[in-house]
Formats: sequence, C-alpha cells, structure tokens
Amino acid sequence: MRVLVLYAHPNPESYGAALHRTVVSALEGAGHVVDDCDLYAEGFDPVLTYDERMAYHDVPGNRAPVVEYVRRIENAEALVLVFPVWNFGFPAILKGFLDRVFLPGVSFRIENGLVQPNLTHLKRLVAVTTYGAPRWRAMLMGDPPRKVVMRMLRVLVAPNARARYLALHDMNRQTQNGREAFLRRVRETVSRL
Amino acid sequence: MRVLVVYAHPCEESFAAAVRDRTLATLREGGHEVRLLDLYAMGFNPVLSAEERRGYHTPGENEVPVAEHLAQLRWCEALLFVYPTWWYGPPSMLKGWLERVWVPHATFRMPEKGKPIARLMTNIRLIGVISLLGSPRWWWWMIGMPGRRTLLTGLGVLCAPGCRTFWLAHHRMDSSTPETRSVFLDRVAKKLRSLAP
Repeated sequence: MRVLVLYAHPNPESYGAALHRTVVSALEGAGHVVDDCDLYAEGFDPVLTYDERMAYHDVPGNRAPVVEYVRRIENAEALVLVFPVWNFGFPAILKGFLDRVFLPGVSFRIENGLVQPNLTHLKRLVAVTTYGAPRWRAMLMGDPPRKVVMRMLRVLVAPNARARYLALHDMNRQTQNGREAFLRRVRETVSRL
Repeated sequence: MRVLVVYAHPCEESFAAAVRDRTLATLREGGHEVRLLDLYAMGFNPVLSAEERRGYHTPGENEVPVAEHLAQLRWCEALLFVYPTWWYGPPSMLKGWLERVWVPHATFRMPEKGKPIARLMTNIRLIGVISLLGSPRWWWWMIGMPGRRTLLTGLGVLCAPGCRTFWLAHHRMDSSTPETRSVFLDRVAKKLRSLAP
C-alpha cells in the first residue's frame, strides 16, 4: 500500500522520533511504499491565513496554497499519524495540517448543507502517540485526541478505513522497559497493516 | 474582575471578530479590567520549536520565550477564549499558544513520586469559551466535544480549585442567519453581564 506518514515532533533525539523511525522502517519492511511527511523538518506552516480563510469554500481554488500536500493525501491508501499528545490535543503543527489541508473538496464535501466524507480511498488509519498523563487521567478528561482520531477522522473523513489507536500513557514516569515494549507493539501492529 | 480575552481568527470581517468586540464592550461596561490577546494580529508563532522543547522542563528558562504571555496570565482572574472551532478544536494558532505558554513550573508542577500534577495558576478562577461551530450540537456531542475538553477541562485542573467554567457556542454556522447571529451576540452579552465584578 501507499502510506502517508504524518509526523509531528521537533526533536530528532526524542522518543517520538524513535516511534517515527520504527513506523517508517516497519512499513518499508512490510513492502509498503512510504511517503514520510515530517512536518517540522519540512517547515510546515500550520497557520490558516486570511486569504485561505476567505477562499475556504472556493472548490477547487482553495487547495492552491497547499496543493502539494493535497496531492500526497489523495495519493495515499493509508494514513499513519505519529505525534505526542500536548495539552490534551494534537501539536499545533499537526492541528494546522487539518485546518489548512483538510479542505472542502479535499477531505470532505458539503452536499445539501450536510458534510460528506471525501477521503473514502483511505483503507487504514493509524495513530501512534504518547501521553504525559496516565490512562485513567486521559479518560477522565474525555481523551480529546483519541476522539479526534477514532470518531472525527474515522467518521467524517475516512469512513472506509480500519482504524487503530496506539498510545503509550504516563510518559513522565514511564520506564525503559515500557518504552521498549511499546516500540515493539508499534512495530508489530504497523507491520501487519 | 481582571479579564484576559484570548482571540484567534484571521479575518476582521468575520463573525468571530464581532463576538470579540461584543465581549470586550460588555466586559468594559460591566466595570471589568480587560486585556486582549489577539494572536493573529500580534503574529504569534504557534509552533513549539526544538529549542523550546529541549528547555521545556527547565524552570525559568522555559518562561523566557513567552514571558509577556505568562505575565498576562498571572495578571488575570478570568480567562476567556473567543475562537472558531475548526476540526473540533481550537485553530492551530490557539492550540500552539497553549503548548508554548502553559509551561511546567510556571503554570503547573509535573507529577512526582505518587503526587499528581499540581495547579499553579490559582489566580484564575473563571475560564470561559465562546466559540462558533459548523456542526450541529448533537453531532458535536456525539464526537465527544474534543475542543471543549482540551480548553475547559485541560486548563481547569491547572487553575484555582473550584475554578468555574462556561461554554457558549453558536452551532451550524454555515446555515446561520443575521437573526441567529444577533441572538447569539445577545446571549454572549447576557452571560458576560452576569459575571461578578
């Protein structure tokens, strides 16, 4: 499969970077064609501008500022998100990818005033993420990033994709063993994509 | 009360700007001291950099890049957000403001040996969100209201114990009319007039 990996973490020495390397190598090892989009390394600007907002509903002209990113999504058969949970959400650079690239006519259509999913060609949707908070605390808070992936993206954007959400919690007190076990779990799950 | 209004929308002609203006005017009429952080207008950069991430856990050092914003946070007693909900959450501009400004040791203490995360922004006793959404209310509820939880629940645990919160939303913005918008502006004003001085 052609897999678009969207990765959001600024530091190459971070655990997030290790997860990213694991995901890419597991995918390639399983024979997939990987389009590795490292949002920080590519200098992606996540801020939706005045002009973009004014042209937001102007399909297909609205995609002009991000046409290359649109092409990469349209070309993909699977989407893998690799990111840390910061402040109970996606990092801004990934949130802004939704704001700027998930446009009308790209990720959804509006028909008779109703939103219809438009990334119906995606067969898999995977999130690989880490939380500072323990699992119980994330659940108590309503776990916004999990809902964004497992409900919002799955239902509104990519209804034909089988979705998996892989999370390592309690990063602030996580052990070396825990981190390594999660890397193995990610490698195994992604290899079987 | 000392009220800090944090606002994020790129267009001055937007309804969000009208909501912001009504918010500021109503608060000033009510005798509150009001400050505005207009993130787009000030050209705020929402991207947490590699350097900031490396220094994220270093007390003092992590405050330097956002010292002015932290000063505003320490000044206020109420924190209000005015923004459009995009993809079920705040615009990246506002999401990045949370990441860069709400740093540890300044706004909360990291959990240690059996002790949970500790609140430090105890000067803030009210958090409110006024937001504009495309989705219908029931659908927003089905998805689990991610943006509301990120802002109200996520920040609430870092502010004063018993910190009050409110959420005001205009849904189905794409089929809004001058009447629904005007009704919403009045709802905003009514809510803000009810705030204790």
